[in-house]
Amino acid sequence: MELFMRFLIVSLTFISIFFSSTVFGKGHLTYGVLMKTLSNPFWGAMEEGVRDGSKEAGVAYYLQAVESDQAAEPQLNVCMTMLERKPDVMITAAINSTILLPCLKKANESGIPVVDLDGNLDHDIAKKAGVSIDFTIGSDNEAAGAQGADYVAKVLGRNASGPVLVIEGLSGNITGQKRARGFANRIKKIAPGLKVVASLPGDWDRMKAANITNDILTRHPNLKAIFAANDGMALGAVEAAYSAGKGNDIIIVGVDGNSDAVKSIKSGRLNASVAQLPYLVGKRAVIGATASLNGLKMAKFQFVDTLVLTKDVIENNTHPLMKFVK
Amino acid sequence: MSFLEIKDLSKSFGSVNVLDRVTLSINKGSVIGLVGDNGAGKSTLMKIVTGIHKPTSGSILLEERELTRISTSEIRLLGIEMIYQDLALARQQDISSNIFLGREPVKKLFGINLGLVDKQKMDKDSIKIIEDLGAKVPSVEYQAGLLSGGQQQTIAIARALTFSPKLVIMDEPTAALAVKEVQHVLELILKLKSEGISVILISHRLNDIFEVCDRILVLRQGQIVADVIKAKTSMNQIVSYIVGAE
Amino acid sequence: MFLKSIRLESLYVLGILIVTMSLLSPYFLSISNFLNILLATSVIGILAIGSTFVISSAGLDLSVGSVMGLAGVAGAVVMNQLELNWIFGILACIIAGGIAGFFNGQLVTRAKIPAFIVTLGMLGVARGAALLLCDGKPIYGLSNEFLFLGQGRPFGIPFPVIIFIVVALITHYILASTKFGKHTLVIGDNQMAAVAMGINVNRHKVKLYAFSGGLAGLAGMIFTSRVNAGDPTAGLNYELTAITAAIIGGTNLFGGKGSIIGTFIGALIMGILQNGLNLLAVQSYYQRMAIGAVLILAVWFDQINRQKN
Repeated sequence: MELFMRFLIVSLTFISIFFSSTVFGKGHLTYGVLMKTLSNPFWGAMEEGVRDGSKEAGVAYYLQAVESDQAAEPQLNVCMTMLERKPDVMITAAINSTILLPCLKKANESGIPVVDLDGNLDHDIAKKAGVSIDFTIGSDNEAAGAQGADYVAKVLGRNASGPVLVIEGLSGNITGQKRARGFANRIKKIAPGLKVVASLPGDWDRMKAANITNDILTRHPNLKAIFAANDGMALGAVEAAYSAGKGNDIIIVGVDGNSDAVKSIKSGRLNASVAQLPYLVGKRAVIGATASLNGLKMAKFQFVDTLVLTKDVIENNTHPLMKFVK
Repeated sequence: MSFLEIKDLSKSFGSVNVLDRVTLSINKGSVIGLVGDNGAGKSTLMKIVTGIHKPTSGSILLEERELTRISTSEIRLLGIEMIYQDLALARQQDISSNIFLGREPVKKLFGINLGLVDKQKMDKDSIKIIEDLGAKVPSVEYQAGLLSGGQQQTIAIARALTFSPKLVIMDEPTAALAVKEVQHVLELILKLKSEGISVILISHRLNDIFEVCDRILVLRQGQIVADVIKAKTSMNQIVSYIVGAE
Repeated sequence: MFLKSIRLESLYVLGILIVTMSLLSPYFLSISNFLNILLATSVIGILAIGSTFVISSAGLDLSVGSVMGLAGVAGAVVMNQLELNWIFGILACIIAGGIAGFFNGQLVTRAKIPAFIVTLGMLGVARGAALLLCDGKPIYGLSNEFLFLGQGRPFGIPFPVIIFIVVALITHYILASTKFGKHTLVIGDNQMAAVAMGINVNRHKVKLYAFSGGLAGLAGMIFTSRVNAGDPTAGLNYELTAITAAIIGGTNLFGGKGSIIGTFIGALIMGILQNGLNLLAVQSYYQRMAIGAVLILAVWFDQINRQKN
């Protein structure tokens, strides 16, 4: 029996080391931070931001994540367990808009405010489920799309005309839709000559994006620009365009600002990527939650800037947001 | 030395002993009837002879060559063929593919053996074999599964006879046939005997057994309980061996 | 020789699609667009060829999508991190795929675990291994020689299309005209008969799964070269598309029947559908419905035809 208990304690210790990194700050407030996964540079940068933010705010936090960004139900279980530790705030990046609602409702009932990290909750659905969200913080995906459009209009000129292709994410995925919509609405407004001739789902798949690019080049050989809802698909489109001998004629823009995109931009293939700044999102989530606890009234949506990375921006490295690009 | 010699052959599946020290020998050109109740071990014994199952112990010699350690395809090459109760036909493949199943002739392409099957030769030979058996089929490119029961039987027999076998084992070849077709199969067995080919006939129909066999072996619970010359026995006696009354 | 192997039903569907698309889009009917379709079909098509062999033998390989992802990453690691020549990159892709398939075959035949379970397990194992190998991050930026395999256009024909057609021709003859192919169909048709006639069924199955894995590796190589990155998420859900193409092409899901030219047409049908819907800029939800509907339609035609016989 004793041996069994010892074994249990040892394995529990290992499990908690594996799944969580607990950092104790100097303050008496402790926040529960629940992420999707840590095996991804995006969430790694977010975690860094949370760490620096809690230092600045003088609070402690404990952070947990599940094994993949598909593990919805395990995330709910982890969430419930986190509540047992009675955090002062729950900061959660839900895997989808509904899975965490039972847990967050329970948090509200115990008087724990909820912060929606990276904009994964839908405020209306949450309200119906009896969950009140203190505030949502993350990138503004529509604005990111619009920034992409601004860049295209700047390079081609506002009077430019010609066909433009939009490659969406997984069909039905809200993030990809917002980016695509943001791009399409803005380009219509500022460069009406550039027409979005097709907006098709690339399913976050590089090769599907390459295939779509080929298909649309068949129909519109004079294609002027491509906006893809993430960098992977944008890079697939770049390869297809170069392989068709049109790499230099088409402006291609992605979203994320990941390291592959940066490499490609530096080598002059990808034109631009609208970079998200997860470090800033994480940091401001903690600082904002602290301010809210201290009675400051927070706007329901806190948007963190996105930055258009181009060859110039990367090489000059003078843009004030560049230091947050991880 | 006999043509086929089985010595102390035992087989168990897990803890179930299906065959228990079976010993028998068969002479060249004889027709042997193998009878016994369901589960007596007849099919298992024959599947060990054809190499599908490996025995737990014991040996089988075909013209003094040990069979228990070689594969089914090698045993077929040595001249043992079996016609299975379910006929073992590939129903979606055509007739000639079934006849040459496992022994497809290959042709060389520019002098290189690429394993290309010589379909023309297969079709041509199949037509001849079926004609020799006095049977008719719509076309050798017809799917085997679309043929009648008797026609399918013909294909299975044709397959067993194509490569001049020395021993043909038939497992219930007449069970599913009409009376006229049964007679045809029995005549075929006698014809094989006249050509010096040995036959082992497994059947529940003692009439058939008594019509064509020289010798009758009775298996009961994995053991040979009787090995008698047909002329010196009667149907009643065989039945009592089968059920264990004698 | 070819004509005999083609199922009329899939040709009907192909014909209807080509006519419809030509009427709907003036850009559809051109050589360059046709090459586009073949290019877009090449990866799925090569996976579908492997699936045709396995399904014809009454097996199933659900792991091809993941194995192709693993193979692509393996190739990229060999070239970019071990800094070996691009030829080793190609070999790494194909060998990695072949090894994964070999394990599938061993588990199916020796451990006697159903193929569905084995390859479902491999689907997870291979994807995990791909992520592990590159730490979850795509390996971007490959050598120009390697990129030629996916992006080069000798005589104006995209190189993957050449690979696809050569592979299809060779494998067509293997399945239709060699002992290996005949035995594959017989095993799928009646495994007991194959055993009774002296075919070494287990060894044959191991070869089939290794072959399917090797082809998945080749597909992974093309993918990697086309998008200039060893992407650990490459090929997600491709196994289902590959099986769909094989089934539309007339492969019997329960074994015993299948032809590569049929699968080629099946893959082409799906490629044309996707291409046409892209040219028409049809919204994504309809695209999914259309592909599902064509699968049902093609198999339905097949049923009607069989009942007539």
